[in-house]
Amino acid sequence: MSVTVEANAPPIDLTALSPESIITFPHGLVGQPEWKRFVLITSDEDGGLAVLQSVDNDQLSLMVTDPVQLLPEYVVELSSADRTLLGLDSEQQPLLLTTVSIHGEQITTNLIGPLVINPRTRAAKQVVLADTLYTTRYPVASVGSGK
Amino acid sequence: VLVLTRKTEQTLHLGDDIRVTILGIEGDRVKLGIEAPRSVCVLRHELYLQVQAANADAGAPRTDMQTIAAAIRDRQQSDTGATTLA
Repeated sequence: MSVTVEANAPPIDLTALSPESIITFPHGLVGQPEWKRFVLITSDEDGGLAVLQSVDNDQLSLMVTDPVQLLPEYVVELSSADRTLLGLDSEQQPLLLTTVSIHGEQITTNLIGPLVINPRTRAAKQVVLADTLYTTRYPVASVGSGK
Repeated sequence: VLVLTRKTEQTLHLGDDIRVTILGIEGDRVKLGIEAPRSVCVLRHELYLQVQAANADAGAPRTDMQTIAAAIRDRQQSDTGATTLA
């Protein structure tokens, strides 16, 4: 589903992408209804960091990571309505990604609003976990300290 | 903004599928009962704003992607006990 690039590769040609690689959020992201179509760009040397690049706006890309790598116990309870929207039956496991941002030296990820993707159809939704102890700024690493 | 006055135990309809009932009022706190289809996402506004802000932060234009990837790699290596070169 993802497009792999080499480090320092030139920007990918968004017009040359196959439709099969496009992840679609029918309703956009929370508070960003126009953020609908992305392609997932991964590389082998990214430390688990990947990029969701907008297909419609080449200036828009989101850093994302796999939250389960970070917190093995991380789970997202999907409602039956969400499963229907995503075309997931009760057996199918979705792909989970969480957005990454940087605040000063702290790199954080948003565990409250995971991106849930059907790996087969690439239909996606940002789910908001209303009643959890997670945070929108879960610390991932620090820049500069070397740790 | 439409402003309506309701008493405790009175209800509002939002379209055909959503009902909001005033369950109780204590001081400056109002307890609401919301009946809506499962497909309707009901969120406290503060939480909505937090997630919206996190999305905007993650989408902010930046050139420091490689720095961030390196920091995460270093962290992972130190977690697994591997040696990192300073």
